[in-house]
Amino acid sequence: MLTLPAFEWLRPANLDDALAHLANHAAESLVVAGGTDAVPNLKHRLHEPRWIVHLGRLDELRFVRESEGALSIGPLVTLSAIARHEGIRRDFPSLARAASLVASPQIRNMGTLGGNLCLDTRCTYYNQTYFWRDALGFCLKKDGVRCHVVPQGRRCVAAHSSDVSPVLISLDASVDISNARGSRTVPVDEFFVGDGVHNNVLVPGELVTRVTIPAASRGLRAAYQKLRPRAAIDFPMLSVAFAARVSDGGCEHARLVVSALGAKPRRIGGLDALVKGRPLDDALGEALAEAAYRQCRPLTNVAYDDAYRHEMVPVFVRRAVREAGGIA
Amino acid sequence: MLCRLRVNGETRDCAVVPHTTLLEALRYALGLTGSKQGCDKGDCGACTVVIDGESALSCISIALACEGRDIVTIEGLARNGIPHPLQDALDVTGGAQCGFCTPGILMSAWALLERNPRPSRDEIALALSGNLCRCTGYTKIIDAVELAASQSAERP
Amino acid sequence: MKAPRNNEPPPKGDAPRKRDAPQAESTATGMKVPGGRDMPREDRLKPPQWPGGRAQPPGASFHVIGRRNRKIEGLAKVTGRAIYADDIALPRMLHAKLKRSIHAHARIVRIDAREALAMPGVHAVITGRDLPEYFGIIPWTQDEQALCETKARYVGDAIAAVAADSEWLAEEALKRIHVEYEPLPAITCIDEALEHPEWRVNEKSSEGNLSKHVHLEFGDVDGELAGSDAVVGGDYWYEGSTHAPIEPHCCVADFDATGFLTLYSSTQVAHYLHRDLAKVLGVKAQRIRVIQPVVGGAFGGKSEPFSLEFCAAKLSMQTGRPVKILYTREEVFYAHRGRHPMRLCYRTGIRRDGTLTGVDARIAIDGGAYSSFGLVTTYYSGQLLTAPYRMSAYRFDSTRVFTNKPCCGPKRGHGSVQPRFAFECQIDKLAEVIGMDPIEVRRRNSIGEHTRTVNGMRITSNGFAECLDEVERASDWKRKFRRLPYGRGVGVAGSMYISGTNYCIYPNEMPQSGVQLKLDRSGRATVFCGASDIGQGVDSVLAMIVAEELGLDLGDIRVVAADTDLTPVDLGSYSSRETFMVGNACLDAARKLREQVAGTLAARWGCAASEITLAGGVACSVRDPERECMSVREAFQATEARHGTLGSVGWYQSPKLGGDYRGGTIGASPAYSFTAHVAEVECDPETGFVRVSNIWVAHDCGRALSPVAVEGQMEGSAYMGFAEAMFEQHVFKPAAVHHGPGLHDGPSLLDYRIPTSLDTPDLVSLIVESVDPEGPYGAKEAGEGPLHPSVPAIANAIHDALGIRCDRLPFHPPRVLSLLRAGDARAAWEKARGRVATAPVAGVGGSGAGRSGAGRSGAGAC
Repeated sequence: MLTLPAFEWLRPANLDDALAHLANHAAESLVVAGGTDAVPNLKHRLHEPRWIVHLGRLDELRFVRESEGALSIGPLVTLSAIARHEGIRRDFPSLARAASLVASPQIRNMGTLGGNLCLDTRCTYYNQTYFWRDALGFCLKKDGVRCHVVPQGRRCVAAHSSDVSPVLISLDASVDISNARGSRTVPVDEFFVGDGVHNNVLVPGELVTRVTIPAASRGLRAAYQKLRPRAAIDFPMLSVAFAARVSDGGCEHARLVVSALGAKPRRIGGLDALVKGRPLDDALGEALAEAAYRQCRPLTNVAYDDAYRHEMVPVFVRRAVREAGGIA
Repeated sequence: MLCRLRVNGETRDCAVVPHTTLLEALRYALGLTGSKQGCDKGDCGACTVVIDGESALSCISIALACEGRDIVTIEGLARNGIPHPLQDALDVTGGAQCGFCTPGILMSAWALLERNPRPSRDEIALALSGNLCRCTGYTKIIDAVELAASQSAERP
Repeated sequence: MKAPRNNEPPPKGDAPRKRDAPQAESTATGMKVPGGRDMPREDRLKPPQWPGGRAQPPGASFHVIGRRNRKIEGLAKVTGRAIYADDIALPRMLHAKLKRSIHAHARIVRIDAREALAMPGVHAVITGRDLPEYFGIIPWTQDEQALCETKARYVGDAIAAVAADSEWLAEEALKRIHVEYEPLPAITCIDEALEHPEWRVNEKSSEGNLSKHVHLEFGDVDGELAGSDAVVGGDYWYEGSTHAPIEPHCCVADFDATGFLTLYSSTQVAHYLHRDLAKVLGVKAQRIRVIQPVVGGAFGGKSEPFSLEFCAAKLSMQTGRPVKILYTREEVFYAHRGRHPMRLCYRTGIRRDGTLTGVDARIAIDGGAYSSFGLVTTYYSGQLLTAPYRMSAYRFDSTRVFTNKPCCGPKRGHGSVQPRFAFECQIDKLAEVIGMDPIEVRRRNSIGEHTRTVNGMRITSNGFAECLDEVERASDWKRKFRRLPYGRGVGVAGSMYISGTNYCIYPNEMPQSGVQLKLDRSGRATVFCGASDIGQGVDSVLAMIVAEELGLDLGDIRVVAADTDLTPVDLGSYSSRETFMVGNACLDAARKLREQVAGTLAARWGCAASEITLAGGVACSVRDPERECMSVREAFQATEARHGTLGSVGWYQSPKLGGDYRGGTIGASPAYSFTAHVAEVECDPETGFVRVSNIWVAHDCGRALSPVAVEGQMEGSAYMGFAEAMFEQHVFKPAAVHHGPGLHDGPSLLDYRIPTSLDTPDLVSLIVESVDPEGPYGAKEAGEGPLHPSVPAIANAIHDALGIRCDRLPFHPPRVLSLLRAGDARAAWEKARGRVATAPVAGVGGSGAGRSGAGRSGAGAC
């Protein structure tokens, strides 16, 4: 079978020990929690770290806390735990839904919230064995200098493929990030950057230590829609997260996030003017679909061609809006 | 490195290099060859074992990361040489053809029944959705899980 | 019948011409098997005859056959105790890996393995020079080497092999074997292969990139088409797909100090592997033992020798240690031998009363880099279409070409799944043109039993009409067809398939299957047989036949199979031959012993042998079962005392069959199975997603010896066809700005999407038993036939649902959506409904309903 590359094994007993190691050796270390993304990538020699830093013992990062102010979730909470959690299902059903749609039951049992948030970007030219990539001539994300998706491109356009991230953006969630010197909080909306090689703001030595969804996001009308060839196992070829605050006077505010197209989730702009005061109905869905279609530019970085995925953007936006609005 | 694993209720030590997957440790170091390798990297479910009560993929688990956890493999389902009702049911319905996905299927099904003793057909299909079978079209596998669940329910 | 036209000269049977005579016959070290090739026809072995025939039980009724028995190896599999190839570990065993080409087509200039060999723990490296002998499953197209000697022909072609202490070390060592290549222009598709004969993929080809060309015509096709009331033309593309057994190929070779080689391999053809090992390794066949452990799925993907087997053996010979090679999943995709991509152009005629007239087919086949079974594939693409429907005249012209891609071969339903797809879609279109229910069209053309096809194939039993009745009833067809709301639909298709073939892969007159049966005075029977159980359950079939004949419990029978030291030759698990052929061989062996046992008891009790019953562990006379009664064990002992040590042999050799023309034996089978499917779909016109909700499968398997196993084969076949229709594509990335051609599009089970439990339709299997006069107890095949109608039934259901014709595979969402956009699907849908709803069956169309206009669309496009 495909083997793992040789590495040294580090299993810190607590967060401080982990951060202390990373303070000095972040560049040579790969942090692994559930391993469902990292281990296949290791087998493909996409990462060749000196150390594997295993976070499995860091029980302090495994929690779900509901409070008046917010819901906070530790990054080591598994996706199936999120999908099953009663409070999350009640208050943030789109998050529970997204978690329940990740890959397969086994991968949801192993994979963590933090892992899915920090999932490496994916591309048909990247997620392949060393042999295959050698035959390709490698690519600029790993071992090479050229992009095969955009032949003239100098920036990696591998696809952000996390199911939970677009939902977290739609719910206005934030992440706490720590390193050996301290911590900072970043909205998930600002967590991702448009560079497929490394598509988030984490700098070497930093770890995500908490995900927080504000209380204000409770009661949003929210939905998550995922396009994938098979009903299980597959990563999204397109994902849409939608959340709206709706009162008697219609929509007050809405967020629409389209992902799995480029290196970062795309938050569709100009929504406030579009939704303000309108009912959450098919007409609004149509308007949002049109806006999303205009703002999204898929590339042929994952299965299904770019034209098809582009065409599906408005379809899946309409469906998300209908789901959020409770329209059968 | 010494790797101490708790497998099927027994504590087993094996010497492994750090870059050893749980599947390699089970199959090649501990002689538990019932768990199978099909896809190399978590795409097929043939290597499924149950860790701390939940189905997991041993081919993408690092063996050392599983220390201190409770691992059950296909070899751990039978009690005193008597097949588990699920195993028996799969044999009766003909749900094992080539048998290669079978251990993984059984571990996913076992984890399901431990959590949900009377699952619906849809719940069974969902629980098995990470286990690829190439022989059966799944029909007789789902029949078997239903059969085992109904038999367990009939027992006092 | 009009004399067949052929582009090649006689002789019959596609015998090899002198210049490319099979090398296996001529090498000193190979297994020389004259095998009575020149034996007079009348001397050919003929299966034994029994007074009551072979379709009936030995007693008044069946006791084991037809029951829902467990498989004999079932509990070993469900408890994880079955031993597969990778479960075998021998002392001092080394692990080997193959170095593979990164170019689709390149000359190998130099291989430098010094750096790899210098690594501690690396024991040996071999290259093409170490194994120069050519091999191949078909004796007269042997065009493969275990390792490419001078040229690599696809990305992933094996070039060198390295043995090391561990799999990890072997993988590391691969990076230190340096290959210097001189890239050559690569052929990536059928058209390139034909347009650029000078870019020669395979030097063993007779001409350019031509692998095989067959042209056969039966009857006056052009005349029949001209006299038809409607002619429909259609162009179809069948995408390639691969077997994807969950078990990757694996073998362990052990060459011992006496010069004896033992090879354990996940193969489905131990006998052919045995022959080719001898040839390639230069080791006498009698010094080689091939053992097939439990195999984790094959589907045709393990039905010929592969690089790993030769390389593990050679490395074991060089190092004096056992060597294991386990393919990665990626390498399984390169080993391939899967479904050939085919471009199929059909013109088919029909009369207003529904009678099919002429059928004209032109087929281009993408073979990949080597021949494999390609000669047979090319014939099968035409020869297996001539039932279950009568056709007045038939012509096919099939061309297989070489391309720089992994080699295609026999995948479940070898050669005939692709034309069946096209043809069953053609029938659906014709039915629509004449305004007749497509089940009715099929029924009216059903060829019936005990007849001959237009190309001279003998049909014996035939339950096709009943298959149609069954799926029509079970699916509630009459209330659904053309009556479901837009987006939902049903479709029907039929097919036939062989139960083994009388065309043996290497010419010889020896039995196709042999069984040795040993009875023990303990009351146990042991069956020794070369048959290959790949999950379909043939070991259990053997046990059931012995249990039925000798009155034993299944648990008292051991089956020793597929071990060339211990078991007589059976040719292996391919062409759906096992139940029919090895079943007959086993029946032969068991009946010989039964006669001895019954004779012994009859003598003791003074009754006729026909009055002896052996069942459920008890032997008794029917005359006085109370007193004339003993255990089967005692009966065996009495028989042994009378006859000496008990054992028997049985064999099967098919009768000479087929048409009297070159290639006329290819596709000839002692019995044919028949299948009909109805598929129901729910489509999402907005996304192009098609959900196949149900497939009803009715299959005529003769007699179902093991109904559970038959259903399993029917469901598994329907699943695999559905998977090809909806998801799977074994395709390659074209050359681009920064990379060359021939990269596999996604050689993993993540990117090559085989359906999960959530994607798979409800599969309903409906067994139809026609009871064949020549099958063991009347049995025919069930393993491959039931795959065929899946694909066209789904395509036809999509038409019923959406008004589009899916003539290209797979029917994945982007393709369905683009078809919906390409024309006015809704209008086509409305029109199709009107045709069946309003048109009385007999009087459609008046003048020229089909012959001009819509009926001709697509004709001549190819």
